[in-house]
Amino acid sequence: MTIPGFILRNALRNKRRLVLTLLSVTLSLFLFTMLQTALHEMTQPSQTEESSLRVIVRHKVSLGNALPTKYQSRIERVPGVRTCMKFTWFGGIYRDPKDFFPQFAVDADKLADIFSEAKVDPQENAAFIKDRAGCVVGIKTMDRFGWKLGDRITLKGTIWPCDPVLTIRGVYRGGIDETNLFFHHEYMDELCGKWGVCLNFWIRAHRAEDIPGLIKQIDETFANTDAETKTETERAFLLEFVSMIGNVKVLINSICSVIIFTLILVTASTMSMAIRERAREIAILKAVGYDGWQILGLILAESFGLALTGGFLGCFGAWFGATMLFQYVNIATVSNGMFIKLEVTPHIVVSGMLIAIVLGVVSCIVPAWSSVRMSVVTGLKELD
Amino acid sequence: MAVPLRYNFRNLRVRWRLTIATMLGIALVVAVFVMVMALSQGLKSTYVSTGDPRNLLVLRKGSTAESSSQITRSEVRLIKYLDGIARDGDGEPLASAEILILINLDRIDHHGSGNVLVRGIGPVGLRLRTSIRLIEGRMFQSGLHECVVSRKISERFANCRVGEQFRSGRTLWRVVGIFEAAKTAYESEIWTDADEIRDVFKRNFYGSILIRPVENSTMVATMIKRMEADKQLSIRVLPEVEYYIEQTKTAAPIQWLGSVLAVVMSIGAAFSAMNTMYAAVSARTREIGTLRVLGFRRRHIYVSFLLESVILALFGGAVGCLFSLPLNGMATGTMSWTTFSEVAFEFRVTPELLAKGMAFALVMGVLGGLLPARLAARKPVLDALRSV
Repeated sequence: MTIPGFILRNALRNKRRLVLTLLSVTLSLFLFTMLQTALHEMTQPSQTEESSLRVIVRHKVSLGNALPTKYQSRIERVPGVRTCMKFTWFGGIYRDPKDFFPQFAVDADKLADIFSEAKVDPQENAAFIKDRAGCVVGIKTMDRFGWKLGDRITLKGTIWPCDPVLTIRGVYRGGIDETNLFFHHEYMDELCGKWGVCLNFWIRAHRAEDIPGLIKQIDETFANTDAETKTETERAFLLEFVSMIGNVKVLINSICSVIIFTLILVTASTMSMAIRERAREIAILKAVGYDGWQILGLILAESFGLALTGGFLGCFGAWFGATMLFQYVNIATVSNGMFIKLEVTPHIVVSGMLIAIVLGVVSCIVPAWSSVRMSVVTGLKELD
Repeated sequence: MAVPLRYNFRNLRVRWRLTIATMLGIALVVAVFVMVMALSQGLKSTYVSTGDPRNLLVLRKGSTAESSSQITRSEVRLIKYLDGIARDGDGEPLASAEILILINLDRIDHHGSGNVLVRGIGPVGLRLRTSIRLIEGRMFQSGLHECVVSRKISERFANCRVGEQFRSGRTLWRVVGIFEAAKTAYESEIWTDADEIRDVFKRNFYGSILIRPVENSTMVATMIKRMEADKQLSIRVLPEVEYYIEQTKTAAPIQWLGSVLAVVMSIGAAFSAMNTMYAAVSARTREIGTLRVLGFRRRHIYVSFLLESVILALFGGAVGCLFSLPLNGMATGTMSWTTFSEVAFEFRVTPELLAKGMAFALVMGVLGGLLPARLAARKPVLDALRSV
């Protein structure tokens, strides 16, 4: 019998126990991976080349206060600004509050330049720009409601007192969030009675190096006016939003530590059970000439194998689960827009596997060491 | 006669290492469940307890939040003097035209900032809310840029203690008082005068009107019908209590997290309980044989092992509940998805939640014990006695 064969036989001696332990390792690491993925999603907004060029201007008092649209031409004159677009959260209801998806009023002709990662067919985009009551919708929302180009939809305003009727002129694919709807800001202004305000301005800078200077200059331009501004990068803007949700990081990380602690506890007690009942065999192995280190190696290999298999199943189960969830469930809707994509990053998988490795060592080291140190005579006396 | 319970207790004590490990596992699962649920419970009860059942809230038609609703001044004039609104001793109608705005304030440790709701109230606004109690300082006076801050907000945001000032909208606001509001959603707000707010933040409209109708239900019903049908008014009237209950949906993601965690973790813990019980059964094969010879029936053995598992789990559950108790009353905050502002609230570990935690433990114990107990009950007597 080969050494690996021996280890495998030992691992399989109590199949029921093996399966149960394996399942609890798998479940715990599955949960760990999922929670870390959710945390990552919330605290680390993904950054691309395009998003690092974006800057957002909002009212200094808070996100809930609107800015005068007349600021737009002054922002456009600030050096380093390539495009400046009005951007207003519409937050209307389509059919029923349950059918929620994000809607924004924007400058139609500037949309493609600001969100360049959201790809729209050039012809569709031209049609959207031309039709003042037109809109562009993300592919996810199109599929969700089974919409086609040319369909007309009505949104009931909850924040803005108007109910725009929009014609779908284009579909976009790509970008972080494929569920948004964009329509003409002018159209909203007209319906709501020309208030001359918008919630934010989204800016695309020429180069990333221009951004610090540009932020400073915009805020200085509007200092001491009735509507002072706060300008920040897209990343800072998103992180601030996340920080509002509360101390999610502490919550999720403490849950994760509890899970890992419990897992170590449970696995260690199982392993010690498995090793202690083998005291006689270990004594025999020693009697036939294996030294302590070799035996320790055998036990460690078994425990490692168990932990790593569980870790592998758990992490990849989570990866598979997250992918499936992303494919078949509209996560953005279920979670109130908190999660947009669920991506199990390699980093998370690696930390899950590292935990499995630590688990493999920690869970067996104490009982393994004590049974290895046990004298052959005591070991042989043990009844199984 | 059933196998005495003492037998089970003694067995748990003999294998104390395994017992403690399994118990702690179950305890931690129960503790996590109770804690997460206490979070969502605290958030929910904040909203559920807010509002006076006698009050009605008037919002713009189609509006879902006070902070984004607009009521014009002419609408306010029309609504205020409607028949059916109660009046005070001086003949003044009990209607408070209010405005809610969102302001961004630095957190108390100056790490980051958060959105806080500032409520501008009318002269009778306080009389419509009996839960407000000043605990420090005095009420604000109109026209002096004074405000009162809830205790929770003053503990979470910078420059919000009595005597301090914070800047927002080109004005310095002086804090003159701290209030408590019986753990309602008002405890996440700053209060000042409505017209001052409108002036400083350049709003030519109000956000909502809080009214107290007379205590005559038929009259109130006709008033509401008339208000909502009035072509001059584009408004929505709903009981104040209902408006806040709608906002309990803010707690939905937390509740979702709690349920998913609880289910997955308890399956894991049930596996470990099962492992422990299988070990117990195989270690006691001879004892089982002896019990059978003494005259105990298969079902006695079955019940005995199942009970042992349940006892183990219930102990774990109790320890888990104990772990979660210190959390009760701890202050925390999250963002309301309705107003995008900070809601300050407290963890609430209620007896109901503890009972749910224990029920979870019970389920884990039963799930973990069923199969091992069946195995124990089915052992043939002779084989069991022969085993070493």
